[in-house]
Amino acid sequence: MSARSDVLLWAQRVIGRKDATACQILDIPAGSGLDAAQQAFHKIARMAHPDLHRRTLTADELELVTTAYARAAAAYQELRGQRTVTTRIRAIPGVPAAVPPTTQAIPTAPPSIKAIAVPEEPGHAPNKMGSKALIYYRKAELALRRGDLPGAVLQLKMAIASDPQSQFLRSALAEVEAEVARKP
Amino acid sequence: MSVALGIDLGTTNSVAAIATPTGVEFILGARGERVHPSVIAFPASGGVVVGTDAKRYRLSEPQHVVHSAKRFIGQNTRAPLVQLALTGVRYNVVEGPNQQPIVVVRDRRMTMPEISSHVLLHLKRAAERQLGTPVKDAVITVPANFTDGQRQATREAGRLAGLDVMRLINEPTAAALAYGFGQDREQMIAVFDFGGGTFDVSILQLDGEVFEVLASEGDFFLGGDDLDRALAENLASELHRISRVDPRPHAALMMKLMMGAEQIKMYLSDSEAAEGEIEGLDLPGGRVSTLPFSVTRAQFEAMIAGYVERTMAVTRQVLVAANIDPRMISDVLCVGGSTRIPMVRQQLAEIFRREPNISINPDEVVAQGAAIQAGSLTGDLTSGTGMGARDAVATAGHSPLARGTITLPEITAKRPVLLDVNPATLAIHTAGGFTERLLDKNAPIPIERSRVFTTSRDNQTRVEIDCCRGESRRYTDNEPLGTLLLDDLPPRPRGDLQIEVQFRVDADGILHVRASDLASGQQQEAHLQVLGAPVAPAGPASGVPDDKP
Repeated sequence: MSARSDVLLWAQRVIGRKDATACQILDIPAGSGLDAAQQAFHKIARMAHPDLHRRTLTADELELVTTAYARAAAAYQELRGQRTVTTRIRAIPGVPAAVPPTTQAIPTAPPSIKAIAVPEEPGHAPNKMGSKALIYYRKAELALRRGDLPGAVLQLKMAIASDPQSQFLRSALAEVEAEVARKP
Repeated sequence: MSVALGIDLGTTNSVAAIATPTGVEFILGARGERVHPSVIAFPASGGVVVGTDAKRYRLSEPQHVVHSAKRFIGQNTRAPLVQLALTGVRYNVVEGPNQQPIVVVRDRRMTMPEISSHVLLHLKRAAERQLGTPVKDAVITVPANFTDGQRQATREAGRLAGLDVMRLINEPTAAALAYGFGQDREQMIAVFDFGGGTFDVSILQLDGEVFEVLASEGDFFLGGDDLDRALAENLASELHRISRVDPRPHAALMMKLMMGAEQIKMYLSDSEAAEGEIEGLDLPGGRVSTLPFSVTRAQFEAMIAGYVERTMAVTRQVLVAANIDPRMISDVLCVGGSTRIPMVRQQLAEIFRREPNISINPDEVVAQGAAIQAGSLTGDLTSGTGMGARDAVATAGHSPLARGTITLPEITAKRPVLLDVNPATLAIHTAGGFTERLLDKNAPIPIERSRVFTTSRDNQTRVEIDCCRGESRRYTDNEPLGTLLLDDLPPRPRGDLQIEVQFRVDADGILHVRASDLASGQQQEAHLQVLGAPVAPAGPASGVPDDKP
């Protein structure tokens, strides 16, 4: 009985937070490595995989759990896709990237043949970043592509100096610094 | 108590099993055989004959015997590989609605799901006979690289056979489940599944009861059939030389050579050379000929080297996709009859630097895994020992289920958790003829991702999104899945509407797409009719509705 209510509570929490980051969905600290993401996802699978509940939940409840689980799977895949540090920084939604996206399909440029995309994360609206900060941010991206972590940290700090309000830049810096800390 | 059947629906053979407290129990045919040929005959005397009995009609009336139906199920008749495979069968296949293949036998027109449903029904009846209880629930295995259309068609075949298909699971994953269930170990394994008509290789991480597929690759037009054909072509040239009659246009004659080739192939797995003659070859003009043959293992290996090399290339590719060093793999499971070929095992050993595991039965392990998953889904599975591949026993004669003496305990914990993967990247068409990837190949399923779209012109009432599957960045290099159509949108200035499009791949690996207008909150189901897929039946059980907008 408690397992049943646990999984329903978990599913409601996941679905309720539409703007949660992948790490938040998996309940791990930002910038966590692949191993932590895998462990977290296995833990979720042991508790919430829809197969485990197909006899105990009603159809509506099962749909809720399946949806939450499917979003956790997408979160895990997002972290797993970011194997290289290059793609670790989130692309700024709605603004064309300075470099073509490499591996992961994080939306960058809006698909615009017959429809165009709207920024997915309004909280990180790119227009809120000053143009000077954006230039530094692009330089940070290029540094990351070269594998130059200290360079990226420097450029991100410059960007934050030009635009101290941007939460997006701060979280990006935190992610890169976490990456630096992991490297020997 | 409900009994759930695990079914390995194969290209050449099918196997069914159920999980019991004492181990996995196989469903036996009328002669006690565990392996049921996936052959369906429509003899002159009427009726439908399936399995071992159907095989004997292959010689007398090859055009009325349907085999290898799995190669065509859920396929688009116009696909080049399908056209090629059609040259290898002796029954008549035509193009039907939605470009799906239709078998025409004795003026009967049947879809591929209908054909396969005969095999499933045969297994269901055998199970009911053996267990003395009605069987309704089933788990059916499919090749890991099966497409959306093929999966839908397989589900449809189950439905036509009167089965409630609880789940489709991938064959390599099922094999891993049979191997690792109840072992509670942490290890990484590779499953090399080289069957009669399809080839798959998967890398899995076993973490207690969690079976996570890290990556999977395959080729659904590569199997033992191709190896038989390579050898049969050689035999045909030899017959042509001796008898001055080219056997290739003659269905019955080629069938006989194919059957001979299959036997020679199997013999060469144990011996260095095969010598003998194929008798009773009915040449046109009433002559009966005998073809003497002498094939060494080395000669046979030269004939099939190209096919084997292809499987090894795919294996190296999957190691790259999983980002795994071959030395991290602690066991290599061989699944499917074609893995008995020594050349295949040698080359596998070279890649993984370890001898592949030969302690499991390559023909039966997939059905065992399906049975375990079926038991797990119905909740009738006892955790613990006695279920793994090594301990599997056929207990038909003393089936506790058949005698009704055992009540299965309710299971509380440690049911296996299968984390299978999305078989191919799903993407949408974007500006400049490129694609934007929405769900990656090898992403865990079930998975869901949404994107928000808006209109690009004032008062636009219609948005079209072309969807495709495949790994190329160019849209036209991928396989089109269909167009998602959002109609009757309220006229608004451009950019004002927000339409959320949700892509979900369910646990069966089937894609569902849903769209909703965020402003009004109105749900609008948008439909993708995958080309080649069966025209889906009515009712909520079907994957994708059939009415194309």
